[in-house]
Amino acid sequence: MKRKNQNQFAPISSLIVGLKTGLIGAILTVLLSLIGMVEAFSQREIIYEVISMGHALLLLAGCFIAYFSAKRTLSEKKSLILINSLIAGILSSVSLILLVVLGHFVNLRSVFINASPVLFNLILLGQGIEKGSLLLILIGALIGLFSGTLYLFPVRIRKAIVLPLSSVLLAGVLQDLLRPTLSAWGPLSKLSDWLFTANGLSLSGAITLTIFIGIGSHFWSSKGKGIQKGIKNLSLRKRRIITYSGFLILIFLLLILPHLLGLFLSEVLTIVGLYILLGLGLNIVVGYAGLLDLGYVAFFAIGAYTTAILTSPELGFFHLSFWSALPIAILMGIFSGVLLGIPVLKMRGDYLAIATLGFGEIIRILVLSDFLRPWLGGAQGIGKIPKATIGSFEFARPQDIYYLILAGCLLVVFISLRLKDSRIGRAWMAMREDEDVAQAMGINLVSTKLLAFATGAGFSALSGAIFASKLGSVYPHSFNVMISINVVCLIIVGGMGSIPGVMVGAFALVGLPELLREFAEYRLLVYGAALVAMMLLKPEGLWPEAIRRRELHEESEEKTSSQPTEETSV
Amino acid sequence: MGKGMAILIAKKVTKRFGGLVAVDRLDLEIQEKSIHSIIGPNGAGKTTFFNCVTGFYRPEEGEILFNHHSLVGLLPDKIVRLGISRTYQNIRLFPNLTAMENVLVGLHGHLKANFFGIVIGSSSTRKEEAEAAEEARKLLRFVSLSGKGDFLAKNLPYGDQRKLEIARALASKPKLLLLDEPTAGMNPKETQDMMEFIQRLRDELGITILLIEHQMRVVMGISEIVTVLDYGEKIAEGPPVEIQRNPRVIEAYLGRGSVEEATAA
Repeated sequence: MKRKNQNQFAPISSLIVGLKTGLIGAILTVLLSLIGMVEAFSQREIIYEVISMGHALLLLAGCFIAYFSAKRTLSEKKSLILINSLIAGILSSVSLILLVVLGHFVNLRSVFINASPVLFNLILLGQGIEKGSLLLILIGALIGLFSGTLYLFPVRIRKAIVLPLSSVLLAGVLQDLLRPTLSAWGPLSKLSDWLFTANGLSLSGAITLTIFIGIGSHFWSSKGKGIQKGIKNLSLRKRRIITYSGFLILIFLLLILPHLLGLFLSEVLTIVGLYILLGLGLNIVVGYAGLLDLGYVAFFAIGAYTTAILTSPELGFFHLSFWSALPIAILMGIFSGVLLGIPVLKMRGDYLAIATLGFGEIIRILVLSDFLRPWLGGAQGIGKIPKATIGSFEFARPQDIYYLILAGCLLVVFISLRLKDSRIGRAWMAMREDEDVAQAMGINLVSTKLLAFATGAGFSALSGAIFASKLGSVYPHSFNVMISINVVCLIIVGGMGSIPGVMVGAFALVGLPELLREFAEYRLLVYGAALVAMMLLKPEGLWPEAIRRRELHEESEEKTSSQPTEETSV
Repeated sequence: MGKGMAILIAKKVTKRFGGLVAVDRLDLEIQEKSIHSIIGPNGAGKTTFFNCVTGFYRPEEGEILFNHHSLVGLLPDKIVRLGISRTYQNIRLFPNLTAMENVLVGLHGHLKANFFGIVIGSSSTRKEEAEAAEEARKLLRFVSLSGKGDFLAKNLPYGDQRKLEIARALASKPKLLLLDEPTAGMNPKETQDMMEFIQRLRDELGITILLIEHQMRVVMGISEIVTVLDYGEKIAEGPPVEIQRNPRVIEAYLGRGSVEEATAA
């Protein structure tokens, strides 16, 4: 990554890299200001009367660029690294000052409607041009030095600094969720009152949180390895007990979750859950079998519409209950999965993606068509879909539907896990890696591909059926191509082929935007930027697929020395 | 050798790509439990012939018989189940699967678990998986890759990748193994090891070996019969000693004027 440059011009070329990175930072901070994010975000405080989200955003951008600049320095000399991050930090500040100065002389608002005096005042920290500029440059220099030093620290210390700061930031951003959730709990409400003010964290709360998490992280990084080793050295039975009890605690937490979270968060959870179901299904098709399917929403629609047609009294063909419609919906999904699979058997890669994209649109247009209106409801959709019931209990509120989705997710995770480490899962992955060789190893491509399509479609139809009963109505426009794209994105962001990755991806790409609805204007922008950044910085995903250790795990318990080291990307 | 029965018979096999005749009316007989080499200059049609045998290409004319089964028109997955397995000139492992999983994929055709058995975790499925894992460990041991089974295939060093590819090919329990330049890119020591290993395959496991090879030392060292191809045609066949002296072979292989040089060497 870093080349040792004996060349005598090394410092100069190294500084040029620093300057270039600093310019990128300058563009970034100006851009963030001009598109209005800084102003919009500044209404929310991270720490009450100390820092707002808008300023935090600028600080974060500055830190990020300065750190990046330090990382990109061609030389290993500490002074050069520090100078580079300093340059980047100061350049980011100077660009903001230039923006303000420019804004004073030229009316920028005819093009950039956000370049208002309010913004300029925010940038100058309300201190006027002279004092404000000086302060800004000072802050720029400080964050430059801070990020440079951070880069030079060993990983352990870096973690112990970054983790608490980012947790404070996260706590501030998600305050509207944490506050009501915590205050719903008797003993924790005191904690919440102390941590949070009406807008943002309290200063004392933020400092305590920082120290607390900092010490915790430091402790874990120095002692965590020992604890893990200690657990590893326990006998197999004791380790199993630990695993099982951990598992039980997790299940318990999942079961009481909606009662802790309240209506809004449970609703978010159900949406995330539906996407997890979709993601796990597509994960089999794309992640395991390597078949890029962009028409995946079709099976979601088929599951939802089948449920609607079979249960809704509005159409009046059938009056089945949710539970008797569910298996039929899943079977319809599987059937259509095979139906789609047959014509595209010979296609690979891009061609497959385009063909499946077409399939997704065909289904949407079919349900929208006037011709099929008597059966499928046309543009008005189908309403009055009954809720699922068990006895007299009705899955009506989000908190109840959560359990339905949780059960679905657990089932699908279980099936995915079982399949993954089996003859079929290996056949899928071999096909993904090299279709020709897979076939030469005795894998029947036709049946293996169709099985992947069918399984994925079945999971998707399950998700669709629950979706229909949750909403009580289905409309063609709920099944547009963006859902397919979102599901593909969450798989890629989470990590291809990784089951926990799908969940993390769903929370990051579906859950987080739901939580930050008040910034809905910037949702797609941030979404896009995050995707690009992910692909550049962590292409293997947030939670990549673990290497499956099969050779040694049964042979011997103690033998850990010859275990392979996982790849580390730097 | 020689008096055994033929395990693979190719009769007038022809494969064309547009106007190019890659394999031209090739007749070939591979004796059971022999080590048979195919040599020839680049583009002579050796790998194309391999692809015809394993079902990747369908020859336009001719017949290929394996233990009296006709192979022409069968898909590769059917052919491997009949008992023909292969390796590739440019190693083609499943890079993001572990070594162990690569071998387990090789066992695919011998496993029977179905979807529902896997999902409910039936006892027969679990037993089969355990046996398959044991078998895979045995194969890794056989190619001396013990302890490396949990590495991703792409992270193994070159020589180990070659071995792993052979282990994966062996997992399908072949009667005939096609090796496409197994010593490509190896140093003399590694080449020597590979030669001994190939002989072990035949002697210990009784597998018939069909070999494409460029290193003359290997060809002359281990093969019992050598077939020489040039422009898709068979130009010579016989024991190594004869082939070595065949002027037509030397000419085809090294060009005109190198006959003296080669015989001197």
